Amino acid sequence: SILTAPLPQERGGNNSFTHEALTLKYKLDNQFELVFVVGFQKILTLTYVDKLIDDVHKEFRDKYRNEFQQKGALGLLNGTFDFKDDFMRLLREAEESSKVRAPTVMKTFEQSLKSQKTVKCMIETRGEKPKEKVKNKKNKGSKKDGTEAVAVPSKASAADKQHSAAGDKEELTKDEILQKNREEFFRRHMKAGEKSRSPKPDAQKEKGKKPRVWDLGNSNAKVLDYSNSATNGSAEACPVEEFDPDMALGDKNREPGRLYDLEYESDDEVEEEKVVQNPSKPSAKKGALGGMFGMLKGLVGSKSLTRDDMDPVLEKMKDHLIAKNVAAEIAVQLCESVAKKLEGKVMGTFTTVTSMVKQALQEALVQILQPQRRVDVLRDVMDAQRHRRPYVVTFCGVNGVGKSTNLAKAGQDPGPQGWGDGISFWLIENGFSVLIAACDTFRAGAVEQLRTHTRRLNALHPPESHGGRTMVQLYEKGYGKDAAGIAMEAISYARNQGFDVVLVDTAGRMQDNAPLMTALAKLIAVNAPDLVLFVGEALVGNEAVDQLVKFNKALADHSMAQTPRLIDGIVLTKFDTIDDKVGAAISMTYITSKPIVFVGTGQTYCDLRSLNAKAVVAALMKA
Amino acid sequence: MAGGLEPHLEALRRELHGPAVLSVLVALIAVAITFLIWRFVQGRRSSRKAVLLLGLCDAGKTLLFARLLSGRYRDTQTSITDSSAVYRISQDKSTSVTLIDLPGHESLRLQFLERFKAAARAIVFVVDSVAFQREVKDVAEFLYQVLVDSTVLRNAPALLIACNKQDVTMAKSAKLIQQQLEKELNTLRVTRSAAPTSLEATGGPAQLGKKGKDFDFSQLPMKVEFVECSARGSKGEEGEADLEGLEKWLVKVA
Repeated sequence: SILTAPLPQERGGNNSFTHEALTLKYKLDNQFELVFVVGFQKILTLTYVDKLIDDVHKEFRDKYRNEFQQKGALGLLNGTFDFKDDFMRLLREAEESSKVRAPTVMKTFEQSLKSQKTVKCMIETRGEKPKEKVKNKKNKGSKKDGTEAVAVPSKASAADKQHSAAGDKEELTKDEILQKNREEFFRRHMKAGEKSRSPKPDAQKEKGKKPRVWDLGNSNAKVLDYSNSATNGSAEACPVEEFDPDMALGDKNREPGRLYDLEYESDDEVEEEKVVQNPSKPSAKKGALGGMFGMLKGLVGSKSLTRDDMDPVLEKMKDHLIAKNVAAEIAVQLCESVAKKLEGKVMGTFTTVTSMVKQALQEALVQILQPQRRVDVLRDVMDAQRHRRPYVVTFCGVNGVGKSTNLAKAGQDPGPQGWGDGISFWLIENGFSVLIAACDTFRAGAVEQLRTHTRRLNALHPPESHGGRTMVQLYEKGYGKDAAGIAMEAISYARNQGFDVVLVDTAGRMQDNAPLMTALAKLIAVNAPDLVLFVGEALVGNEAVDQLVKFNKALADHSMAQTPRLIDGIVLTKFDTIDDKVGAAISMTYITSKPIVFVGTGQTYCDLRSLNAKAVVAALMKA
Repeated sequence: MAGGLEPHLEALRRELHGPAVLSVLVALIAVAITFLIWRFVQGRRSSRKAVLLLGLCDAGKTLLFARLLSGRYRDTQTSITDSSAVYRISQDKSTSVTLIDLPGHESLRLQFLERFKAAARAIVFVVDSVAFQREVKDVAEFLYQVLVDSTVLRNAPALLIACNKQDVTMAKSAKLIQQQLEKELNTLRVTRSAAPTSLEATGGPAQLGKKGKDFDFSQLPMKVEFVECSARGSKGEEGEADLEGLEKWLVKVA
């Protein structure tokens, strides 16, 4: 459900969520701690959803504001929220408004303005051009969708910067304007009152029509030749031609056009230029005076957080996280989610924006590191023991991360070199017998390494001290054989001999290597291990995202089952090599939502650890 | 720039050497003392008047909360944040406790527990008696986490294990739940103490109960009781909830 997935897990950056056949869009009201969710069928693309959700939010909040403010939780419990009628009304309004601004049917060639293009369009002097361009922009206050409004300011800035003919970019935007102008013109002339259709198919339709300009339109070479400035004049003059028939309408539309521009701020086509354009004016005015009072007001409290306040702080935090080795995309998503959570929240007394954002980010990080379900290996091994079957753990990962090492290290050697203990040692210390399956049949010396460790483990824990059973044994079949087959044999051997745990060591492989990934997926699908652990080193940066995503994808693709076995846990190795740049832990847990089961440190006496979420987050947030 | 500041600094220095210094110091000390007193009083006032409602997801905490406060049934959703309200013990109007309903979602529960555990005078751990067989391990794990928490061990708030959803026929009895929990917690304390320690761990994990003997709820430093209740009530949504045991315990605790 929407409440259990994106919001708690800090994936709240994107405000829509798909669940089975429904798409859910949600909006958070952080001031009163409300969540507004709109659900509709995935196959429909309804454009009025965002507007509807905003309207509902505003109405609901205004109507029941008292109850929230005064009575708190009791108000929520006891109040009756008879919102159904209001909701139906808003829904109807939203539906109708979307119908009004619908674009319409495709025109035939005769109806389109291309056929009306005259030679006049070719001939135009340079002097008039910039001025007309500017006027054009004003007229093109579109009634329809954001791309037009966007194209307008972008053109304005382009024209301001340079008066000479522009490069390709300008041509393209002009073409878009061309298209839209034609549509507008046609609509006004023909007054087609068609059914509602979302702007999205329209935008796509327009883009689809663009090539037609090149093919069927003016085949005059001069128009198509944008190489030098002289001929640019001819191409740019085409909008001017539009300008003439449109002129009467253009003027009529000028003022309403500008208003529409502000009104139809649709989320769909969000462009930076538009955002830059709109706030630039208000912020300029408020700059000086606002700064002084804003600081004081911020200290005293009862100021609600806006996106603008948070953006600089969030930028800094994002850079800080990236400097601490968190993958870039994850840092961005995290900051987005924190921003969504804090937007509109009322600040208490003596809290600054920075402190609020920092605290929210800290909570988010702790939440990410504290997993959905804690993996308690010992507990699960006990369960498997009761059912008289071995508990199978598979280790996978790329080359050189420390799979075999962490698996088999036999520690407690107080020498300066300190062997350190691995997973099998830990299991044996707790009284479970372990079978190590050497399924790394590729790397030279892999089997010998495991054999050496096994011998040492047996020396430390001889059968005599454990009631006559061998605590650890190595199952190997040499090199070059099929890993999945060896694993299967090892598991049945363990079952026959009564071993408690089977640790399957696989060969390291790059995530891009398709045949090897298939082989791994096959091994896991066929043998159905109880625990699939991904071994990753703490040094990895943005690579972690790629590795985990591709590993999970490979496992999912090649599994026959309905619910494929994915990575269940993460082993983070070489943790001692990073001082406080512990971002890899965050990247990995964020991608998979699975816990970090073991942490390998490698240099301390006791090498195998578990993750201390608070310490990691403290290290991350440290300046 | 520096030249402009110098005469000012000189003037300041001259001033400070006067009797003004003493009065400034006295003022500061007075402020500090008032501050300390204020903190102390505030601490005393708000110390531990809360009753926390904990439990797994879908155990019925929010419905229980609603029933205790308003007596009516409400459709509830998964909580993603805490709700708190003041609950007056019905006979004795003067005493009241603050009921705090915390979310049960795995990613959220520990975070909210951290926030509110210091203020807890009593803890109600809500268990879904119907799904108990399936969820034994998760219930025990959460309970274990609550019990070994250092703040909880220190304050030893009274613990009530409310076996909810007794209106369904398949619900397990409180006795059975108690036995199973004790067994599970017994195993858990062995596995948890044997788990690899975390980096910078301050001391080992706390020991639950007495070593050597099987775990029993009577070994805990706090009073533990088991009670059966049903937030929905046996008559469905319109009827009253079956919360007598819970209410009696709340009266005792307040």
